[in-house]
Amino acid sequence: MKRLGRLLLAILRELADENAYQRHLAAHGATHSGPEWRRFSEERLRAKYARAKCC
Amino acid sequence: MKLLGYLFWAVVASVAAFCLGTIALSRGEHINSLWLVLAAACSYATAYRFYAKFISARVMMLNDERATPAERLQNGHDFEPTNKWIVFGHHFAAIAGPGPLVGPVLAAQFGYLPGTLWIIIGACLGGAVQDFVILFASMRRDGKSLGQMAREEIGKVGGFIALVTVLLIMVILLAVVALVVVNALKGSPWGAFTIAATMPIAIFMGLYLRYWRPGKVLECSAIGFVLVMGSIFAGQAVGESASLAPVFTLSAMTIAFAIILYGFLASALPVWLLLAPRDYLSTFVKLGVVLMLAIGILFVRPELQLPAFTRFTDGTGPIFAGKIFPFCFITIACGAISGFHSLISSGTTPKMIAKESHAWPVGYGSMLLESFVAIMAIIAACVLQPGIYFAVNSPAGIVGATPAAAAATITAWGFPVTPADMALLAHNVGEQSLFSRTGGAPSLALGMAHIFASSGGGQAVIGFWYHFAIMFEALFILTIIDAGTRVGRFMLQDLLGHIAPPLGRTSWMPGVIGTSAVVVGAWGYFLVQGVRDPLGGINSLWPLFGISNQLLAAIALCVATTILLKMHGAKFMWITCVPLVWLVSATFTAAWQKIFSPIPAIGFLSQADGLEAALRAGKVASPAATETLIFNARLDAAICGVFMVLVAVILVDSLRVWAGILWGAGERRVHEAPFVASQLRAEEL
Repeated sequence: MKRLGRLLLAILRELADENAYQRHLAAHGATHSGPEWRRFSEERLRAKYARAKCC
Repeated sequence: MKLLGYLFWAVVASVAAFCLGTIALSRGEHINSLWLVLAAACSYATAYRFYAKFISARVMMLNDERATPAERLQNGHDFEPTNKWIVFGHHFAAIAGPGPLVGPVLAAQFGYLPGTLWIIIGACLGGAVQDFVILFASMRRDGKSLGQMAREEIGKVGGFIALVTVLLIMVILLAVVALVVVNALKGSPWGAFTIAATMPIAIFMGLYLRYWRPGKVLECSAIGFVLVMGSIFAGQAVGESASLAPVFTLSAMTIAFAIILYGFLASALPVWLLLAPRDYLSTFVKLGVVLMLAIGILFVRPELQLPAFTRFTDGTGPIFAGKIFPFCFITIACGAISGFHSLISSGTTPKMIAKESHAWPVGYGSMLLESFVAIMAIIAACVLQPGIYFAVNSPAGIVGATPAAAAATITAWGFPVTPADMALLAHNVGEQSLFSRTGGAPSLALGMAHIFASSGGGQAVIGFWYHFAIMFEALFILTIIDAGTRVGRFMLQDLLGHIAPPLGRTSWMPGVIGTSAVVVGAWGYFLVQGVRDPLGGINSLWPLFGISNQLLAAIALCVATTILLKMHGAKFMWITCVPLVWLVSATFTAAWQKIFSPIPAIGFLSQADGLEAALRAGKVASPAATETLIFNARLDAAICGVFMVLVAVILVDSLRVWAGILWGAGERRVHEAPFVASQLRAEEL
């Protein structure tokens, strides 16, 4: 049950781009801050909304 | 142990066959929705365990020793090996749109049986196979898109056609889903207020996420959800207020222009301000509601009120005209097979797959779950009394503009309903009227509200659940409209950038505003056309959308067949060729009938000719409006024709390539990335 809960939370965090943000911080050796989130978010959202959404 | 396994799967397959037989042969009595749930679940399990396993082992030869692009090209950005269930959730959230909810509801006009059978069979043998093969192909090609694969495997023509088809489909898709929202919100102050309130809520979320709590998307979405739920309660107060209700009681045309303005603003404004927070919220709400509906159906186990077949199998249906073949198939569309999924399967997902074997649950399994959503939608529609279902979904132009006339027409069809029944239902859900609320969303909301209210609370809470369901549908349809407009703008800027470079710059404001206006204008035109249509618009726009979507699936299956042919010769090409032949037959027949059928309710040209004759004879009330209708019918015919030509070209091009391969004259080289041994341990993810 605990494992299922962890998995569900991980899926939600992936959908919320929070996992991607952690990967971004790790890849760039950066720490969390407002400007860093905005940098990540702009890059991520630009790529995300250049693709068609499904019907 | 092995024997137990055989025994288990024999039981699952037998239950699937027994349930399918029961729903297929049952006549004259109401059947329980659990039969549909069991038939679908056991069929999916059997197809997943045997057919998908056969494809992955014998045809694709998935190999976990081979490094995936996520491992080889890992960059902490888009290429990232990810736990397979996380990729599954991500992929399902990306493919789940309004299509599998709305299409089955509309197709229920034939009765529950044709739609149910096609959703199950079409998904197992067609839709899931398409998604799976395209995901596999993209994964073996460093995550290339469908257009890139079409160009490499078939030729330059295929790649260009795939791009143009996607752009055209998006215009039709955005118009038709916007029309669904318009028909759900017209004359509904409660609904209009709730949806209007989601705009400031989304902007608040955008500011919260950017400046106050950067990175806290889940926390922000939870706050947004609470606020949206609050707006549903506030909407009820607005609907009951003598001063506020008239302000939010909007006509269809007013809502259409409000959505057009919204689409323009969302496309031109910074993405973090409105689009992204709304998208996060709608994704979570969508997944939550799908789960709630599944639990609700299992808990309530409602009986289906619609018969297995209705009289409209003869093609005279009020919701859309045409016989089961081909119109049931193009109406269900995404619930069984969706061309758009091939864009997702060749988009983000292949860049996240850690091991090749994960493509099996992600590609094939996600589509089965999507198909199950379609089954739930058909159940939600079929739990309504048939008279109510047809009263809600039939346009006033067919059943009559007054409650008495509409009730009399529908009762004469053999589906009794009275104005008093409809008035009571409208009162219970907090609406002024539920007659002719075409588009599928209101009837789906009624079905969902019935199921949720039956789980607890009864009639006292049915109004809340109805508006909760409307909010859920409108929220993620509007997300598709704003994101789709933005994507259309990027595509257009990309094309125009070759002619005038500044127009291609996404940071140049005049270019952004101009291209946004063009894209919004394109789908907005079809939306207004749908609103003005005396038959409700859905009758002409939804088949156009279904045809275009299924033709995109045909393009994807052409690419998939070419790849299988290059890998194995003719041995396994039937896997994608059988659904391709079916799709081409159904879609080309539908497109041909929509253009050339002599029945005005079906054929666009005969509809235009009929209107023209009436105009010349001076039998129309408004000549200007009739001229517009004539032009629109011919425009729809032309668009249908363009879709047919585009796909015919890619089919001929594919046949040329296939003939070359089979007769040994053509190139058989697959364009896969070279083998690299995997170093990744998937269990660590």
